[in-house]
Amino acid sequence: MSAPGRVDLSVIVPVTERFDEVRELYFRYRDAVRASGLDFEITYVLDGRYPDVLAELKSLIDEGERLRVIALSRPFGEATAIMVGFNHAAGERILTLPAYEQIEPSGIPRLIAALDHCDLALARRWPRIDSRLNRFQAGAFHFILNRITGLRFHDMGCGARAMHRRVLEEITLYGDQHRFLPVLAFRQGFRVEEVDVPQSPHDARQRLYRPGVYLRRLLDMLSVFFLTKFTKKPLRFFGLLGSGLFAIGAALVAWLGVERLLSDVPLADRPLLLVASLLVVLGIQIFAIGLVGEIIIFSHAKDIKDYTIDEIIG
Amino acid sequence: MNGAVAGAAGAAERSGEPAPGARAGGAVDLSVVVPFFNEEDNVFPQYERIAAVLDRLALRGQMVFVDDGSTDRTWERLRAVAAKDARVRAIRFRRNYGQTAAMSAGIDHADGEVLLTMDGDLQNDPEDIPHFLAKLDEGYDIVVGWRHRRQDRLLTRRVPSWVANRLIGKVTGVPIRDNGCSLKAYRARLIKMIPLYSEMHRFIPAMASIAGARIAEIRVNHFARRYGQSKYGLSRIYRVLLDLLAIKTLLSSVARPLLWFGTIGGAALIVSLAALVAALTGSWSEAGGPALITMGISVLFGALAAFVLFSGVFSELVYRTGDVRIERLSEVSAEVIDAQRPGGAP
Repeated sequence: MSAPGRVDLSVIVPVTERFDEVRELYFRYRDAVRASGLDFEITYVLDGRYPDVLAELKSLIDEGERLRVIALSRPFGEATAIMVGFNHAAGERILTLPAYEQIEPSGIPRLIAALDHCDLALARRWPRIDSRLNRFQAGAFHFILNRITGLRFHDMGCGARAMHRRVLEEITLYGDQHRFLPVLAFRQGFRVEEVDVPQSPHDARQRLYRPGVYLRRLLDMLSVFFLTKFTKKPLRFFGLLGSGLFAIGAALVAWLGVERLLSDVPLADRPLLLVASLLVVLGIQIFAIGLVGEIIIFSHAKDIKDYTIDEIIG
Repeated sequence: MNGAVAGAAGAAERSGEPAPGARAGGAVDLSVVVPFFNEEDNVFPQYERIAAVLDRLALRGQMVFVDDGSTDRTWERLRAVAAKDARVRAIRFRRNYGQTAAMSAGIDHADGEVLLTMDGDLQNDPEDIPHFLAKLDEGYDIVVGWRHRRQDRLLTRRVPSWVANRLIGKVTGVPIRDNGCSLKAYRARLIKMIPLYSEMHRFIPAMASIAGARIAEIRVNHFARRYGQSKYGLSRIYRVLLDLLAIKTLLSSVARPLLWFGTIGGAALIVSLAALVAALTGSWSEAGGPALITMGISVLFGALAAFVLFSGVFSELVYRTGDVRIERLSEVSAEVIDAQRPGGAP
């Protein structure tokens, strides 16, 4: 790990499945970052084996370009790639850029400049020239996520983000969590801002992903949901859910019992009794899981702080 | 870069950070913890009143002021106060986290042997501080204030609060008349062992009394707000109730999880066996033979019994490896009371 502070800005470009012409994009990024007037370094992190990209980058290095390439042995996810790049970054400020034409590089200096008054600056592709399908997907994703978190972000899928070093020092990302960096950063008390950056025309073509990708995205959202709502209070959620199921099951049993007394249908011949028992059992199980979670948090509460401190005097 | 310190940073990091007015780690008798959220008009008056009381008392006092992410000039003024008076430690949050978080940050960063918390909005009276100290000297571990002539709206503040206090008292078994009063004094060694995340601060007396601490309640003065906006309302009561039930369940189970889960598991096992008997004798069924449904119920509850039992074993493991122990709280408390007795070994 390099000592921080050697350069002003570390640029990290994680290369995953989607990437565009490496050489052209590199020069465009380099020129845009140079326009900000900062001393910078560029690191490419290949998430898995991309021999063509690696060859291109090597030829760039041979031509005298100052850039560093880290190739991971297998795909670990974009967020992990960013963290690996960060571990090798020396800059006080970090800029992640997508390996494909997503934004117009002309917006990059403004993105970096936004760090003067916030901890994390997100590029928001705006004006958006995207296809309808893309916009619908992004809109649905953000609608759900903003509902869950109570925050208002418009473009978490944009790979261009500028941040101060301390953001990544305090937040550990892995897998596909890079999208949720703003949510996690806000939770950690950082000031997060969106900066409008023009969208690249190349980015506008329709994108339809494999079903597995949508499933993963959904699971990610679920984990963010629990992370933001119930990390410290699992019993409130699981307890309410469990008690609810238990109550429904118990009510059903009671009703069947009353029916047994009034009419003459034997209890054991009612399949509904099995359903009711199942609900009771499920309710108790969910409650128990909530309580176990609560016990875990309570007994390790010394590590859990509800707050993050900006400054202490005296 | 301003001295950004992560919340998890403890005393070590604090002492490693020279700041204006830093003490050489000397012992402090009393720390007064005050959270401020958008209270720019109240900072100076509150400081002056507390300082006046501390000056009069013959003890080494400290003030820990926490700025809970204010958007007005609260922090500026806290900084000015901290620069002027070496007894003041000012802590600023990155953003607003709520009063509980501010209180626990203050408690985490206070050096005193006795910690006293109060509101930043001038509704509490620092003149009450000596009464609290006197009560602690009598051998109590926690002294809570009781605003007996409360200067708040009757319908929206006092009635809900009365209901909430009754509920909390009933559920926790510690009948404190005024849980919402911020003016409280604790022995530092006791309070620092109690986990204070989310809404736990409401249950400090309950947790402490489970551990055998002695709790006293004294009447305090209460003033109407002079400046700024009141930040609480009626809607909190539902959340308080939910928290209450959750924490009650937690506290009743946490020290002996296996026993708690085992009881439920045992009940499930009995249901399972009863259903098994019913299935084998066919007593609930018309057909007379072994019934599928009762058999199914038996299996279902049998599995539940196993599940709950293993949850209990697992929780026991978690609790044993954790760093919070209800039993340990009682050790601290007993020791403190011993130390109060004349001639008692500390």
